[in-house]
Amino acid sequence: MPLAVRTSQFWNLGASFKDGLPFQPWAAELHRQRVASNSKDNPDAHCLPLGVMQLHTHGQPRKMVQTPGVIVIIYEANAGLRQIFTDGRPLPKDAEPWWFGYSTGKWEGDTLVVESTSFRDLGWLDVEGSPLTDTGRIIERFRRPDFGHLEIEVTIDDPKAYTKPWTVTVYQRIMLDTDLIEFICQENSKDDPHLR
Amino acid sequence: MTELRSLATFALLTVSASAQWLNYPTAGVPKTASGSANLTAPTPRTADGKPDLSGLWGMMCPTANGTVMCAPEVAVPQVFGDIGRGVKGGLPYTPWAADLVKTRKAQNGKDDPTSHCLPGGVAKLHTSALLRKIVQTPGLIVFLTERNASYRQVFTDGRPLPKDPNPSWNGYSTGHWDGDTLVVETNGFQEGQWLDRAGSPLTESAKMTERIRRPNYGTLEIELTVDDPKAYTKPWTLQLSQSIILNTELLDYICLENEKDSSHLV
Repeated sequence: MPLAVRTSQFWNLGASFKDGLPFQPWAAELHRQRVASNSKDNPDAHCLPLGVMQLHTHGQPRKMVQTPGVIVIIYEANAGLRQIFTDGRPLPKDAEPWWFGYSTGKWEGDTLVVESTSFRDLGWLDVEGSPLTDTGRIIERFRRPDFGHLEIEVTIDDPKAYTKPWTVTVYQRIMLDTDLIEFICQENSKDDPHLR
Repeated sequence: MTELRSLATFALLTVSASAQWLNYPTAGVPKTASGSANLTAPTPRTADGKPDLSGLWGMMCPTANGTVMCAPEVAVPQVFGDIGRGVKGGLPYTPWAADLVKTRKAQNGKDDPTSHCLPGGVAKLHTSALLRKIVQTPGLIVFLTERNASYRQVFTDGRPLPKDPNPSWNGYSTGHWDGDTLVVETNGFQEGQWLDRAGSPLTESAKMTERIRRPNYGTLEIELTVDDPKAYTKPWTLQLSQSIILNTELLDYICLENEKDSSHLV
């Protein structure tokens, strides 16, 4: 893989951090193993859901559908789907662990603040495999400063895997006059037995 | 995943302290004098006066314990197995299609796309025991489905159907209102789809028309007409009814998760 690609957020969320992400020792070791095994166990490589962060940084487009009470994000990548409840409900205390976690959102001025918990353990935040554990919490701050731009500031607060919370910002741009194309990862999938 | 759905079903039947995911109260439910949900209350409407189809919808199944919400471990809708059971006079297969269904049945449906974690398409979106949620906005209606945590879009912004769409499982769908009925037209299906477990085919020459009504708060009625001259001698129409499902949410079902079946299907 060319080095230039590796500096993208999709591959490595720690790319813009001088000393990399603040991994706990075991998380650093897991990350090292995942990189050494060419990310062969990345869920996306097996057509499983990408999770919140890989969907934010993915090259395929996504569409946000905003209604009173719920914001739905539909993704071209693996035809994925995420719901953010904005009806004032609290985060559940004992939800089913899920790829996308359970998300609630509220407005702070012009910023949508989304809090998510209840993630599956040892998720992959990027292709290199920076982990997210089942005790992790993700705070996303969505802003649309003008017609054409979306800024998503994401804070990962997961003391089991990281020594301190850390924040990255994802920038997206409006896409006009087109739409999502159906992308079915599992269709004619021949890769799986060759991943090693 | 099997266990998750069992839990979901269980939570609907009992009061579970540990299943907050599943029992958050639905907002705006009309109530009877005794305080229970009034499912025959008038149809909710959007600001422009059209019926609001938004909500979580489930197929209902008859069981020994009465009619209950269908769920994979409880009961599966008959039309999911054989869509012709919901069609007056059965399905008018062309000879080619009849042969194909015979072969598929003889092979125990081993090549059913959904058995290999591929999409179910429009028919199985409607007939599945898995729940679906409709999110209606001006210009766009989105169907969310538990199957592979995915979605289908229906454009209601007045655009025409494309003349040469990229073939896809869901096709390309536009909708318009005919009085209180949402009429959805779809083309652009990809070849080789199965409308049911029996293997009733859908070819790339197919067009579908859905007429969707919400006659009261708690009921969704769907008339699905399949016009596919390659597989059927004439268009046919499936009649379906779904019920509002309250105080719960979609539980995502990821077919490929820990999937061990595919290599054993013979």
